[in-house]
Amino acid sequence: MPGPGLIADYLDALSRQLPGPIVDELADGLEQTYRRHLGLGLAPETAAEAAVAEFGDPELIAAEFSRSHPARRAARRLLATGPPVGACWAAALITGRAWTWPVPALAGIVPGLALVTVITLLAAAATSTRYRSAGRAGTAGCIGVIVLDASMIIGVTAADPALGRAAVMGMAASAARIGFSARLLRPVLTRE
Amino acid sequence: MRAEELKGHLDAMLLAALESGPRHGYAIIEVLRQGTGGRLDLPTGTIYPALRRLEQSGLVSGSWSVVAGRRRRSYRLTAAGRRALAGRRADWREFAATVSAVLERPCPDPA
Repeated sequence: MPGPGLIADYLDALSRQLPGPIVDELADGLEQTYRRHLGLGLAPETAAEAAVAEFGDPELIAAEFSRSHPARRAARRLLATGPPVGACWAAALITGRAWTWPVPALAGIVPGLALVTVITLLAAAATSTRYRSAGRAGTAGCIGVIVLDASMIIGVTAADPALGRAAVMGMAASAARIGFSARLLRPVLTRE
Repeated sequence: MRAEELKGHLDAMLLAALESGPRHGYAIIEVLRQGTGGRLDLPTGTIYPALRRLEQSGLVSGSWSVVAGRRRRSYRLTAAGRRALAGRRADWREFAATVSAVLERPCPDPA
């Protein structure tokens, strides 16, 4: 962009936090703001200062973009599915007397650790004010939910082939959430 | 006007700025600046994330073009955006009429 280094520095600050297409759009608006101030008779340095001041703090702009990131919305919605899907599985495991299943102890610990990791990722995405962090955590969280739900369906079917009604409900809830997660993940992955 | 007061109405103002046709971010800012008589006291950079939010909600659609070698993103109202604008406008008129009925008329003396 033509103009003083102040504007280049400002765009650099945005580039460190936001993806290229968003910075391109902001650069276009900032250049037009700068030209308007030049047209009002300001010197280039003063016009750049005025344009940057008018645009606002880069941190504030980046935080506003992160609030509208689809990963943030996806994470919040998936977190909301936690209690009902978890309740279905809790009912299935209790009524199926899961503690009597012939599975190695590790098979009980790994899903628990995976669940905590996924919840942490989703919570990070849901509250992050950093655009890239929100996107990365949200993507990982959505994929984690899909893997976790698929693992539950496969694992419970393998451990207890005589599925009770509660297990079928848990599987139906997980299957529905896999579809829901995939639908939420699409705009996250295609986001510019 | 203070930024916080404007913020609650920003989405409706952005939709209104696009009512007459597609515009890019800076042109939308100019419409708001002129429409408010220069009283828009908002960091103009925050208009862009608001436009992306409206796009995500399906109320506007964005498209890229290249102008003088620079990429430019323009927005247009979708059918859902036009319906949302009509709704926000009706709500605003009702709100303004309700508040004005009290604020702009002298209260009768207490009995």
